[in-house]
Amino acid sequence: MAMDKKALYLGPAKRRIRLPFLSGLSGMNRTGGSLLSSLLPPVVALIVFVGGWQLFGILSGIPAYILPKPTDILEAGIKNHVNLFNSVYKTMSSALIGFILSVIFGVAGAILLASSKLVEKSLYPYVIILQTIPIIAIAPIIVIWFGAGTNAIVIIAFLIGFFPMLSNTLVGLNSTENNLKNLFFLYNANPIQTMWKLRIPAALPYIVAGLKISCTLAVIGVIAGEYIAGIGGGKGGLGYAITVAASRLQTAYLFACGLAASVMGIGFYLVINYISKKLLSSWHESEMKH
Amino acid sequence: MSTITANTLVAMQHLNKVYPNGTVAVQNVNLDISEGEFFCFVGPSGCGKSTIFKMITGLETHTEGKLDIFGMSPNAARKKNEVAFVFQDHTLMPWATVKENVCLPLNLRGVSKKQQIEEAERVLELVGLQDTMMMLPRELSGGMKMRVSIARALISRPRLLLMDEPFGALDEITRQSLQQELLHIWQQDRSMTVLFITHNVFEAVYLSTKVVVMTPRPGKVESVVEIPTPFPRGDAFRTTPEFSRLVGVVSQHLKHG
Ligand SMILES: Nc1ncnc2c1ncn2[C@@H]1O[C@H](COP(=O)(O)OP(=O)(O)OP(=O)(O)O)[C@@H](O)[C@H]1O
Ligand SMILES: [Mg+2]
Repeated sequence: MAMDKKALYLGPAKRRIRLPFLSGLSGMNRTGGSLLSSLLPPVVALIVFVGGWQLFGILSGIPAYILPKPTDILEAGIKNHVNLFNSVYKTMSSALIGFILSVIFGVAGAILLASSKLVEKSLYPYVIILQTIPIIAIAPIIVIWFGAGTNAIVIIAFLIGFFPMLSNTLVGLNSTENNLKNLFFLYNANPIQTMWKLRIPAALPYIVAGLKISCTLAVIGVIAGEYIAGIGGGKGGLGYAITVAASRLQTAYLFACGLAASVMGIGFYLVINYISKKLLSSWHESEMKH
Repeated sequence: MSTITANTLVAMQHLNKVYPNGTVAVQNVNLDISEGEFFCFVGPSGCGKSTIFKMITGLETHTEGKLDIFGMSPNAARKKNEVAFVFQDHTLMPWATVKENVCLPLNLRGVSKKQQIEEAERVLELVGLQDTMMMLPRELSGGMKMRVSIARALISRPRLLLMDEPFGALDEITRQSLQQELLHIWQQDRSMTVLFITHNVFEAVYLSTKVVVMTPRPGKVESVVEIPTPFPRGDAFRTTPEFSRLVGVVSQHLKHG
């Protein structure tokens, strides 16, 4: 009885534990149950899946270079952890640079387009056309112009994240409420004031939505870039490591690299998600468009 | 014909407005509004009341006739920073604090921060919200948002205040207390001229010195009803026979329109 009471008492306290990075994950904070009851099912599912995989690997006898067991992947990761961390670091920093560039140029470009209807009308069609060109098609040109290596990789990541950033921001800048625009007109605001004090703050939810898309794409862009323009000598990122591992049939390490890439992508997304929440803290949830 | 006197603030002569799609919104409106008046505009929906306000502020241009504010064109008058506005929607920036919202007209004119704060304190006190400076609009009730919106309009000490159905979305009790506060602010020195659009005949009679009754589209002025009751008018005015009589007169004109 006493034990029960203690357990009941501990319940609400547990609920107060806050993991800011995790709060953005689907519905986890909406379930209303304790952290335990919302984390338990996916953890159990993971254990069952990994355990099943391991068991299947042992029983079926499929060789590790075709389907490595989870323990093989772990072992490959630990054995090559210096290379793995180097690759993750390399990919991460390229993705971060590419992402930051796409944010800066995407937002600046959108502000430029939105500051004049004439400029927007004459350039936006080309922006849309450029956006539809698959990155793989222009990647070789980028390599020709900038040489294989980090420059080309960052530029590929930048290009892939740039267009969603640009179009999201542009939509946001053009969706300012009419009443507020009239208000600024009536109080004689000049176009620069209207841009900085009204249109940009009003576009913030759209810009934030763009950030979330672009950060994911930047990681994909870098890995794709490393496939095409990666260079070796311990300087290659995950994309390069994956191509090398594949050519050498180091399937377990390949899996480890893939796993590292997705963990990195999720981590990047969660960080951006957290920053986004901070950026939008003065917006009411119901007033966020995304 | 109207006679323009020295203290005529807004003069409309044979004013017409046809929208590009052919809608005749306002037809042959003649009105002279003198300094210190409280004019209410009543009329059926779509009769062109908001259109008149948009022309006064320069958001729309009239297609015929003459429209003078402070003896100049609407665009020149707006540049004087002596016209202020309150819309039905509070039009507060959701990301900005009450203080930032209220200071907007001064901020856009480059007034010093110190003076902005002093003025914000003055107008927020006028509307009874001095403690909300650092709050965000979402933390306020509908009535409080409208008060902030009124405070923002008052901060530039306007000579002309335009209000387009400002209390339309509020409940009756809030509406009545805001009416009283507005009158209180206006009647202190009556240096501010108020033009006020409403659908509510009671509100029009309670507030104004003159009620402009408009006809259904195309909007013309059916009549201008003078409300001679002196100020200050308290809540007691709402229950006098005089009040009922005036409400009756305005309603009668509305029906004939
Ligand atoms: N931009 C526009 N283009 C075309 N027609 C318009 C435009 N704005 C208003 N109108 C039309 O002009 C007429 C008058 O509109 P206005 O908004 O002035 O009416 P109102 O008297 O303010 O109505 P309410 O009481 O419903 O606010 C309406 O028939 C409306 O449909
Ligand atoms: Mg209207």
